[in-house]
Amino acid sequence: MTAVAPAQAARPNGWYGMLMLIASEATIFGALIATYAYLRFNTVAWPPRGVATPSATAPVILALVLLLTAAPVFLAVRAAAAGRRGSAIGLLAGAFVVQAVYLAIQAHLYADQLSTLHADASAYASIYYTLLAVHHAHVGVGLLLELWIMGRLATGWTPYRRTALSAIALYWYFVAVAGLAVTATTLYPAW
Amino acid sequence: MLFAGCNSNQSIVNPATEQARQIDRLWWAMFVGAMVVFATVVFLLVLAFVRRRTAPSHDDRRPYMVVVGGGFVAPVVLLAILFGFVIDVMPAVSTPPAGSTRMTVVVIGHQYFWEFRYPGTGAITANELHLPANTPVEIAVRTADVIHSFWVPRLNRKIDMIPGRTNRIEIDAPTPGVYRGQCSEFCGEGHALMAFDVIVQPPAAFRQWLANQQQTPPAPSGVAAAGLQVFQSAGCGSCHMIAGTSAVGQVGPDLTHVGSRSTIAALTLPNTPQALYDWITDPQRYKPGARMPGFSSLPAGQRHSLVAYLESLR
Amino acid sequence: MAIIEGADARGVERVERLDRIWRERPGLTGWLTTTDHKRIGLMYLVTSLLFFAAGGVEALIMRTQLATAGERVVGPERYDQLMTMHGVTMIFFFVIPLSTGAFGNYLIPLMIGARDMAFPRLNALSFWLFLGSGILFYTGLAIGQAPDAGWFNYVPLASRQYSPGLGIDFYALGLILNGASSTVAAANFLVTIAKLRAPGMSLNRMPLFCYANLAASFSLLFALPVLTVDLMFLELSRKFGLHFFDPGRGGQPLLWQDLFWFFGHPEVYIIVLPAFGIATSIIPTFTRRRMAAFPLVALAELLVAFIGFGVWVHHMFTTGLPTIALVFFAAASLIIVIPSGIQIYAWCMTMVTGSPEFRTPLLFIVGFILFFVFGGLSGITLAAVPFDQQVTDTYYVVAHFHYVIWGAAVFPLLGGLYYWFPKVTGRMYHERMGQISFWLVFAGTNVTFFPMHISGLLGMPRRVFTYPGNLGWGPENFVSTLGAFLLTGGLVLIAVNLVYSRLRGEPAGPNPFGAPTLEWTTTSPPPPYNFAVIPEVTSPYPGWDDPTREADTRRLERGELVLEHGHETPATTPVDGRLDEIVSMPSDSPWPITLAAVTTIGFAMVLSNHLIGAAIMAALAAAALCAWHAHEPEAG
Repeated sequence: MTAVAPAQAARPNGWYGMLMLIASEATIFGALIATYAYLRFNTVAWPPRGVATPSATAPVILALVLLLTAAPVFLAVRAAAAGRRGSAIGLLAGAFVVQAVYLAIQAHLYADQLSTLHADASAYASIYYTLLAVHHAHVGVGLLLELWIMGRLATGWTPYRRTALSAIALYWYFVAVAGLAVTATTLYPAW
Repeated sequence: MLFAGCNSNQSIVNPATEQARQIDRLWWAMFVGAMVVFATVVFLLVLAFVRRRTAPSHDDRRPYMVVVGGGFVAPVVLLAILFGFVIDVMPAVSTPPAGSTRMTVVVIGHQYFWEFRYPGTGAITANELHLPANTPVEIAVRTADVIHSFWVPRLNRKIDMIPGRTNRIEIDAPTPGVYRGQCSEFCGEGHALMAFDVIVQPPAAFRQWLANQQQTPPAPSGVAAAGLQVFQSAGCGSCHMIAGTSAVGQVGPDLTHVGSRSTIAALTLPNTPQALYDWITDPQRYKPGARMPGFSSLPAGQRHSLVAYLESLR
Repeated sequence: MAIIEGADARGVERVERLDRIWRERPGLTGWLTTTDHKRIGLMYLVTSLLFFAAGGVEALIMRTQLATAGERVVGPERYDQLMTMHGVTMIFFFVIPLSTGAFGNYLIPLMIGARDMAFPRLNALSFWLFLGSGILFYTGLAIGQAPDAGWFNYVPLASRQYSPGLGIDFYALGLILNGASSTVAAANFLVTIAKLRAPGMSLNRMPLFCYANLAASFSLLFALPVLTVDLMFLELSRKFGLHFFDPGRGGQPLLWQDLFWFFGHPEVYIIVLPAFGIATSIIPTFTRRRMAAFPLVALAELLVAFIGFGVWVHHMFTTGLPTIALVFFAAASLIIVIPSGIQIYAWCMTMVTGSPEFRTPLLFIVGFILFFVFGGLSGITLAAVPFDQQVTDTYYVVAHFHYVIWGAAVFPLLGGLYYWFPKVTGRMYHERMGQISFWLVFAGTNVTFFPMHISGLLGMPRRVFTYPGNLGWGPENFVSTLGAFLLTGGLVLIAVNLVYSRLRGEPAGPNPFGAPTLEWTTTSPPPPYNFAVIPEVTSPYPGWDDPTREADTRRLERGELVLEHGHETPATTPVDGRLDEIVSMPSDSPWPITLAAVTTIGFAMVLSNHLIGAAIMAALAAAALCAWHAHEPEAG
């Protein structure tokens, strides 16, 4: 009947689609980080006088934790490829819990800082909070995607879901790496 | 015929200074070069039409030669020449080096008029920039609100007026005369009616003008004195400044010597008693978007005495 | 047609099966839920042409106001709105959706021998988001709150302090939504072109039209996010008082301009690249010759997109930047001439060495070449820093970019409307009327825009609602206005021609021009599945390798790549175009339009400060996405 090549040489379309989305999201982060630098190098005092330098400990640890959660996501893709659906879901659930706790702590830190430094206080505060908020939003979207794919995997296994899982994994790698860049940028005054 | 208006007073191709002349020369050089390039393309298209081969030639060698020659070699050569020309002209129109000018005028853009300050003299005027002939002058531009652009095409290129920064160009006009300038960055409703005159005077006449601008006008008498009363009671002073009076507003143009100017409202109307009267009555009619409210509620007599007072401020 | 007609009973039976599988829902529901790239392309076409009409009327009102000095047709407030609406409409709601959305969507899958785009439902989402953004943007005008700070929307004029109404919010949120639509569309094109090319279509055999679209999509993907960030900063400033642009709080007004033009200049190439693609489709067909210097042209199309990212500062030569920056960006702006030059001479030499037949589509391409060269040359003068510092923000620039964006980018689109009209409708356009319409539009364009070079050199600034009578700008402006009406006459004639021909035109057959690309190997109009059998590709001009498509007929009979068991299309390797897998494609879905509607409403709620409502819409959008993916395409 139809002539199907025995093994796929190229990644599925969905994976490429995610790559394109990531390219444009990466450009967004690039523009935000470039703005941070742009504003910084057009200003004498950064952060402005009276504003505390952000403390580095918690954000650095959190960023590394987020990076580490890429590992269970990667293993989940492997497990799914090997047909071990249960362990794939387990690994994803593990990642999900850590990432959710990560986001909760970040949200807490965010709210905490907002009480002392308002986002509308200065250009420094505005770009600082905007950059963090955009990244947190990406983590939030990633959590929803994970939740969704776990639900889908729980009810069965199709090529469509397999593509979706590999795309979502790719998204998480990106969010984790973007987290490093965002953390490094927002901690710039503490360097 | 095409350039019938070449000698117009805001024309790029009617230069009056060395800087404007250099840019003008650059333009005409580029124009000639561009027409030559354009002619080669027209020639090829005409050739295609005239020949209209019955069977196409599939040989790609000649097309490759033309494509590489016309699309790569020729542009590289022509653009290198142009780039050299550009580099050559740029210093003349760049920020003047410190100490290269003999005086500085600060220009401040407002929605929608021009404020000119002569640092070290206290003279402030609006919409008429007086400069001495044959004197390199540094023009330092700022803005009080949105972005404007300072542009007198016959004297030099334009320079943007951007919040938070001061930009500088040089004007060195050899010939006395009046040169028209206009805001050339869109700045809102009154943008089209935000023009000004540069009045280049012989140095002696300029010094005399500047000295006069520093004088506080004498106390008015007669109708004009009544006009001053109106000026103060109607609240004009909360926006306008007149030296020697209680009016110290910074929103509108400085009126200390308004009577000496030849136009009002950034070249929108001539400075005649009738036009000034109409303007005070209903500015929005002549310049929609102007920040000044109309004073039709004042009795006509008060408006007339106000005009008499303002015209006396010479 | 020939492919199917020549086939034996087995072949015909396969085609009937395909017809059944790919049958679409009838009536309005069919259109609202369709994922067929051709239908989506047609919806893009109609919508963008409606916006074109709106933008055109805006232009005519402005031209009437400027006909003579001191005219009082509209005041400055209305004029500034018209000027802003005209610019935004023509760029974001007309040219881009027409060139990528309509032409790209309709033609790319056909040209590469695929049955649809890589993500058909995402494709539908692109269109509905585009429509939503257009409706949102025009709502501002309808309620008297149109944006009025120009399409470039500089701060601080566009800040809350100087533009307190909702106009700027309609601009910012409308364009963020529009940008989302275009980003999604660009990603879709990139994956489609990379993955869905018919077996045998290695990169060196890909039509130049696809190269052009690839380059434009690449630029869109990386340029639009920067605009989105800029607009986000603006809205955060306007709605929540954040500071990005305010120098009093450590912000920078020039940040807006840098980000805007970082997007804005690639945007120019995004606009003009599809036009290159159309030119490289029409020229070979009507000269009976392959494009001269094919590899160089392909390379040049890609290079234009790359270099386009390095020239944005030439829009800011008068902002007082350091000399070294000016020199660098002047050089970059000059270098971009080279890939354009290569293409120009390749088009010309193809005509010189081919046997050209000057029918309507080719006439429009000749016009395009003239305008592009002319506008390109005036563009070079704008890279010459001191001259730019004189003429920027004058009518000289207005003349320049209308030669490029109108003359060069839109002329091929008009030519393309004629060229692919028989393919889309199955009927021929009226040739004589077509040629007359070309001459009217060509003359109208020159009469309208040429005098603007002169008024600009005479010192007339842009964006003015009126001008004094004593500066010598009167004749130029009057002629421009006459030209605008002449141009409109020509455009109306095109519309008359196409509508008339749609109803009364001669039947066209599959390939009335003897054109070489794959879209001409299938019926006119193409069936929902595009090709009865996925064609095999042997060169960039497969239609000339085998004009009878005899081999396809045999393959149809053998059932080779007919894929008559489900919504399927082959995927190939990105470089070599080797058959890799058969992918199942989704069919019609109500969720793209639902998601777009919910998103648009959410944006409207942000605009009107109903943030809780907007959050609810976001939740609904997530639900719509779940429903979307609940239906998984499966191999049949």
